[in-house]
Order: sequence, then C-alpha cells, then structure tokens
Amino acid sequence: MGSFVKGFAGRMARRYGKMSIQMVISLSFTAVAVVGMVFMGLSLSWRFSAGAEMLVEDNSQRVLSQVNMNLDSYLRRMMRVSDTVYYRVIKDADLAQDDLMPGLELLYEENRDDLVSIALFNGEGELVAASPLSGLKASAVPQESLWFQAAMEKMENLHFSAPHIQNIFEDPDYRYQWVVSLSRYVQLTREGSTESGVLLVDMSFAGIEQVCRDVELSNDGYLYLIDASGELIYHPKQQLIYAGLWEENNLAAAGYRDGVHGETFQNENRQVIVKTVGYTGWKLVGVVPREGLGGDVRQTFLFGLSLLLFSVFLMAFLNFRISAHISDPIRRLEQAIKELEAGREDVEIPQEGCYEVQRLGHSISSMVSTMRHLMNDIIQQERQKRRSELEVLQSQINPHFLYNTLDSVIWMTEAGRYEEAIQMVTSLARLFRISLSRGRSVIPLADELEHARNYMNIQQIRYKNKFTTQITAQPETEGLFTLKLIVQPILENAIYHGMTCAEGDGIISVTARREGDDLLIEVTDNGIGMRPEVAASLLDDDRPDVRTTGSGIGVRNVHQRIRLTFGPEYGLTILSEPDEGTTVRIRLPALDEAGVAPYEREETP
Amino acid sequence: MRQKRNVVIQLTILVALGTAVILTLVLPQLTITRTSTPPVELSVILRDSDSTLWSNARLGMEQAAGELRAELRFLTLSSANDSAEQADLIAREAEGGADVMVVVPADSGQPLATEQLPVVTMESWAEGAAVTVSPDNEALGQELAQCALEDWAGSPVLLIQTAPASAGVSQRLAAARQTLEEAGVLVEAAECPVEELVSVLPDLLKQTGAGQVMVFEPAATQRAAEYKENVGLSQMLYGVGVTSRIAAYLERETVTAVAAWSDFAAGYLAVEGAVHAAQRKPYQADPLPFTVLRGEDIYEPDNQKLLFPVTN
Repeated sequence: MGSFVKGFAGRMARRYGKMSIQMVISLSFTAVAVVGMVFMGLSLSWRFSAGAEMLVEDNSQRVLSQVNMNLDSYLRRMMRVSDTVYYRVIKDADLAQDDLMPGLELLYEENRDDLVSIALFNGEGELVAASPLSGLKASAVPQESLWFQAAMEKMENLHFSAPHIQNIFEDPDYRYQWVVSLSRYVQLTREGSTESGVLLVDMSFAGIEQVCRDVELSNDGYLYLIDASGELIYHPKQQLIYAGLWEENNLAAAGYRDGVHGETFQNENRQVIVKTVGYTGWKLVGVVPREGLGGDVRQTFLFGLSLLLFSVFLMAFLNFRISAHISDPIRRLEQAIKELEAGREDVEIPQEGCYEVQRLGHSISSMVSTMRHLMNDIIQQERQKRRSELEVLQSQINPHFLYNTLDSVIWMTEAGRYEEAIQMVTSLARLFRISLSRGRSVIPLADELEHARNYMNIQQIRYKNKFTTQITAQPETEGLFTLKLIVQPILENAIYHGMTCAEGDGIISVTARREGDDLLIEVTDNGIGMRPEVAASLLDDDRPDVRTTGSGIGVRNVHQRIRLTFGPEYGLTILSEPDEGTTVRIRLPALDEAGVAPYEREETP
Repeated sequence: MRQKRNVVIQLTILVALGTAVILTLVLPQLTITRTSTPPVELSVILRDSDSTLWSNARLGMEQAAGELRAELRFLTLSSANDSAEQADLIAREAEGGADVMVVVPADSGQPLATEQLPVVTMESWAEGAAVTVSPDNEALGQELAQCALEDWAGSPVLLIQTAPASAGVSQRLAAARQTLEEAGVLVEAAECPVEELVSVLPDLLKQTGAGQVMVFEPAATQRAAEYKENVGLSQMLYGVGVTSRIAAYLERETVTAVAAWSDFAAGYLAVEGAVHAAQRKPYQADPLPFTVLRGEDIYEPDNQKLLFPVTN
C-alpha cells in the first residue's frame, strides 16, 4: 500500500513536472471544484432524502391520526348504540312484561348502515330479542362464541371481537356477513329479579372498511388495522391475504409500539407507522415503501448525472479559459526567453498579464538590456584588444635591424659607396612607408611583395649578396589583397636560420599564386633546413617563445594573425628537410577590393 | 485555427450538456411524456347461465382488474354449457375489441377460436388457452371420493355428470369413479344437463338404489341440495364449490361435504394471468389449493377466510 502511494506520488510528480502551468491551474481548479460539487451534491442529496423521509413520516402520522380519529369516532358511536340499547331499552325493562323489540328495531333502523344486528341473550345463551333477524339457527350455540365468553368474563368492559362470520342467526337470504362483534355484560330484569345477559351489537365490517379504505399514504403506501394479537381487521388486500396470494407482516406489527419503525419485509425496506386505537387495543399500521421516497429515482439520477457533467465541463471550460488568461503572458515570456537563448537579438520581452508577471517581464527585459550592453562592451573590448595585439605584432620591428641598417648606411657613406647608401636608405624609406600603409591592416598583394623586395634589398646589401632573391607573382593574383607584413618575418627567418650558416650561394624565392578561392604565398630557401617534426612544432601554440636573432616578428605570430583575422582554415604550413631547405606556405583567402571591406571595418575602432 | 476549432467543440459539448440538464428537469413535467397506457379490455365468458355461482370469483377478478388496470365485461350464457353460444360470444368479443379473455370452457374439446387473442381458461384446459386456472381436478375428484368412502354404508354411489363437455368436471368424475371402484364400491353413473337434474334425479335414485350422490360442479351441487331439502331425500350428497347457498346447505347438513377452493383467488389469478398474457408477459399458474369440507368445518377461522370474501 505504502509503495503504491509512493509510486503514485512519484508518477504524479513526474507528470506535474511535464505539465504546463495552464494545465496545472485548470486541472487543479477543476479537481477541487468537482470534489466540492460532489461533496455538496451528496450532502444535499442526503439532506433531501432525510427531509423527504421526515415529510413522509409527518404526512403518514397526520393521516393515521385522522383515520384514528374517524375510527375512534365510529367505535364510540357503536359504543353509544350499545349504551343506548342497554340504558334506554334494557335496563328499565322487565322482560316478563315489556317488549324490547320496538326499541331494538328503532335503534337498528337508525344505524342500519353500520350495523348487522343487535341481539340480547340471557346468561344461558338463549336469545331474548334481536333485530333485524329474530331467529337463531338450530345449530347456533351463542354461549360458546368468543364474544359471549369475553362479555361474561369481564363484565365491566365492552368487548370488540376480531372480524368473523356471524353464523348464529337464521338468514333466509343465505348471507354470510363479516362482522366485528361488540359485546357487553348486561343485567336483565325478569319479574322483578335480575339475571345476567349479554348484549351483542354486530358492527358491519363495511363500516370499518369505510373508515380505513381509500386512505392514501405517500409513495403508494397503505394502511391496515389489526387487533392486539395481530389478527387482521382491515387490510386493502385482506381477501388476497386470506387466499394466500399476499402476505403482510401483521404479527410483527402487533409487537410495535406507537411511533415510526423501519422494517424489511419480503426484501422491501419499509417505513411503518403505528398508532393504537383507543379502548380497543387495535392498531392502525401505515406502511410506506422506502424505495423511491425521493421521487423517480431514474429521473433524479439522470438529472443529477447530467447536472454534474454539465457543471464539471463548465468548470473545466471556464478554468481553462481563466488559466489561459493567467498563463499566456508567462508562456509568451518563456517563448521570448527561448528565442533569446537561440541567439535572436531583436526579441522583445513582453511585459503584460498580472502584476507579478509584468514585474518579472520588466526585470527580464532590464536584465537582457544590461546583458546586451555588457556583451557589446565585451565585444568592443575584444576588438580593441585584438587590434592592440595586431598593432603590437606589426610594430615589433626589431630596433636592432634598424640600427644595423643605419650603421650600414653610415659605413657605406664613409666608404664613399654613395649609390649603395642611397639605395639602402631608399629601400628603408619604402619599407616604412608600406609598413605604415595609412593604418590599414589589409593591403594589396603587390605592396606586400614590394615591401618584401625592399627588405631583401637592405638585407642583401648588409649580407654582401650572400644570397639572391626572386620575388614573383602569378598574373591571376593581380588585384588581390593580403594581410600586411606577413612575408617579411618569413624572409627574416629564412635569412637568419637558412642562410647565415649555409655554404655556397643562397637563393630565397617568394612566389604568389592563386589556388581556387585561396591565395598562396610561398617563401622558399635552400638553406640548412630542419627536421620535419621541428618544422611542425614551430606553429605549436604551446611552444615557448624563444627570442632569436630575427626581426622579432616570429613565424608563429604571422600564423596567429592570419588565423585571428580569417579563421582557423587559413595560416602557415612549413615544409622542411635538413640540408635541403625550407618552404613556408602562406594560405589566405583570395580577397579582391570588395572582399577587403569587412576586414577594414573590423579594424576600425 | 486549431484553438478556435477546440473552443467551438467545447462550446458545443457545453450546450449539449446544458440541454440535457434542462430536458431532464423539464421532461418529467411535460404531459406528453406521461403516456397513459389504455386499460386492458378483458371479457369474462362463463359456461353457466347463473352468474351468482361465480360471484366470489368475480370479486377477485374485480380486485385484480382494479390493481392491474383492466376493464371487465362479464358474460353468461342463456343456457348453461351451450358451447355454440359460447363460441359465438368469444367471436363477438374478439371482434368487439377485447384484448384478452377469461373463459370457463363449455366444451373443452372445441378450440378457442380467437386467432391471436390470448385466452385464459378457468376450471378446464382448452385448446388455445395461454393459462389455465383451476384446482387439480383429478386430485379433487379423488379426495371427494375418499370423503364419500368414509361415509359409505354399502349402497351404490351415484355419480352424475352434468357437464360432459367440460374436461375439468369430467376429470373430477373420472377420478372419483376410479377411487370408488378401486375401493370396491358399486358405482352408478348418469348424465344429464344441470337444468334437468331435478327432474331425473328421483328416477335415478329409484333405479340405482344409491345411498350417496356425487355431483361435480357448483350449479349441480346447488340444484341437487335444493331438491334434496325440498323433497327430504335421505341420500348423502357430495358436491363441488362453495356459494353462500351451498354453505347454508352444508351447515344444515343437506350437503354432506364439498370440495372447495377460494373462488376469489381463482378469479384474481385468472385476471392477473390474462393481463400478463395481453401484455405478452410470461405467467405460470399453479393449481389452486382445495379442501374437502363438511358442515362442521366451515366456521373454522381459516375456512371462513377461504370461503367467504370480506366484502360489503
């Protein structure tokens, strides 16, 4: 159980993590609303059921009270008939002299709708007087009847019998009538002396039936009447019960006290209301089936179900709309941030929705703005840094080279070698003019090669023509541009590392050619060369800087400048073999005048 | 676009559910939904000319008709056991729009010509009957014969067949005859219409020298008892059924014993079965319980309840 709960909670947490805020808000609001509605619906339903049951109970009790009152009134009327017969007709009469018949007949006629017969018996069960039937059956034995015995046993009371067929009178019409016998002990006077007797008033069953029939209780309920022992006196389906086609829980009901009871009879849950009829000990029993007390269960269920579905769907719909209204600004904010992450620069951060979301948008917007400024600053700083670096690299003209050159010029002037001195100074001037290049870092290839040529002129004079120089450019390179001062450091390296220790005539050649979209400048010498692994290590970033006797602008620096400017696919390649010479291949993009522009802008502060 | 389509679908569902709520709220109040099924038109056709013999059954039928929403038409024959007249009556009622009939067949061998109209029979089975409501006629005849055997003093027993075409009456007689003969009693049998019973009975009694007479239908029992009481016959009389007159004869011991059952229950069950048949619902009728009563038994509380309907 615990693991199930944990698993469920884990699944919910994972699902929650994948849900949008709109879904979370709408689902949670809907779930809470549904739970509330179901709870409220059940509470109302329970309250309604309880109320309906109370209402039915009150109604049944009112009906039973009314029937009880009517029945009581009817029974009292019958008792008054009995009293009248006794006190007005019998008590003062002497049976030896007076005729009781006129009095009995009069009373019978007055109450014939409610009575079957009035009869007076002496203590031995002999008929004294009777109306309307005046003769007993030959087989009749009144003194053995229950009503007779009850009257003789309890003289002070009036006795109501259970319903029975009155079978003692001879009826020429062969009628067998159901009656309730009201009997009492009476004192008869015969020739001045008193004797016991029994007065019988047979109440018509129809009279009781009239009081009880057509009484309707709620929910097809009905009412029946039983005596103290549970024997049925009236029941709307009495004859069916007698015929065994229907059953009633009358014997159990006889044990119920007055009030409302619940019982289950023949799998039917029923509300039973009991009220005792005064004097007789009879009980009126109202029966109301509990099923369907709240009306048509099927219709109520359909109504409840459709109302619930409608409410749930309405809630879900409204919650979805409301949550969308709340979450849409957040979603748009998230979208804007995603676009920012993707690198879009013109993203506008929305500042809408409720207060907190607006503030969040505003904060993010400020943050993005600050970030952009910072990034621009960093870019600017980087550019300046690179520019400074380039400038530093470019300006690293070895002062020693300048000193030696000027010293050579002095020496040549003192020696009267004016032509050579002039040539050297002229080459130095051109060298510096091209080095300056009005501050541009990208210059025409022809200028770069001219710069190399001037440099080599100076060096050839200094080294007394120990080597010769060949600088050539293929025609297709005409009009192409190159990064400034990239050939001269290579030549400087070729002179100091390739030529100074070499024996015989040295040759340094510079060739420029086009290869596809690239410009290749190759500087080749036939000096002492080096091992290929040493050549390869010259461009290694991790290799420590070793100051040499060169001009100060190293091969590696040239390589770095090219890569910094044009990207990692460009730069130097050094091919060398010991005693055979070295070739340094410079690979650049073949830039025409239009292609130079971006690089010129980049260099602009 | 997709969002708009979703909103339209959601609103459609919402409107549909709202309509369902309104319909479930309003429909029960509308009168058009309260379809009142018409009552079942039910014709009851007896084989007797005297309907008082069936008064208790009629009470049961009326109670069932009230509970099950049926309208009763109660028809008797102008002369008892006239099967031709009964057939005419059945045909006429069928044409007259009856939904179902309860028939006490005058001639069990004659099919009930009602085409598709369901028929419930009482007393006897007949061809075409959907349900038959009656006691076990054979057992009833045997028990009545057993009762006669208890009183047998050696004289022949006269069995009178008053409704030879009625299978139920014939079964009772046959079973009684078999029981008596198996007991070694000399049985004399005679056949006569119930209307002629009074006229032929003296001669039959003289011819057979019977000490006990048995009849097997209420009309015959009542007539025979009346005749016995009027003439003062000494033969013991055994019959079937309990009307108030038969009960009086029993009480006065004019009739020695009768086989009786609750006519009220028979009538109730017949109408209940008929309504079920009209509604094409299955219905199973068990044989009615019966008892053989002597005069001294009729006021026993249970017998009172069985024999005398609680009515105004």
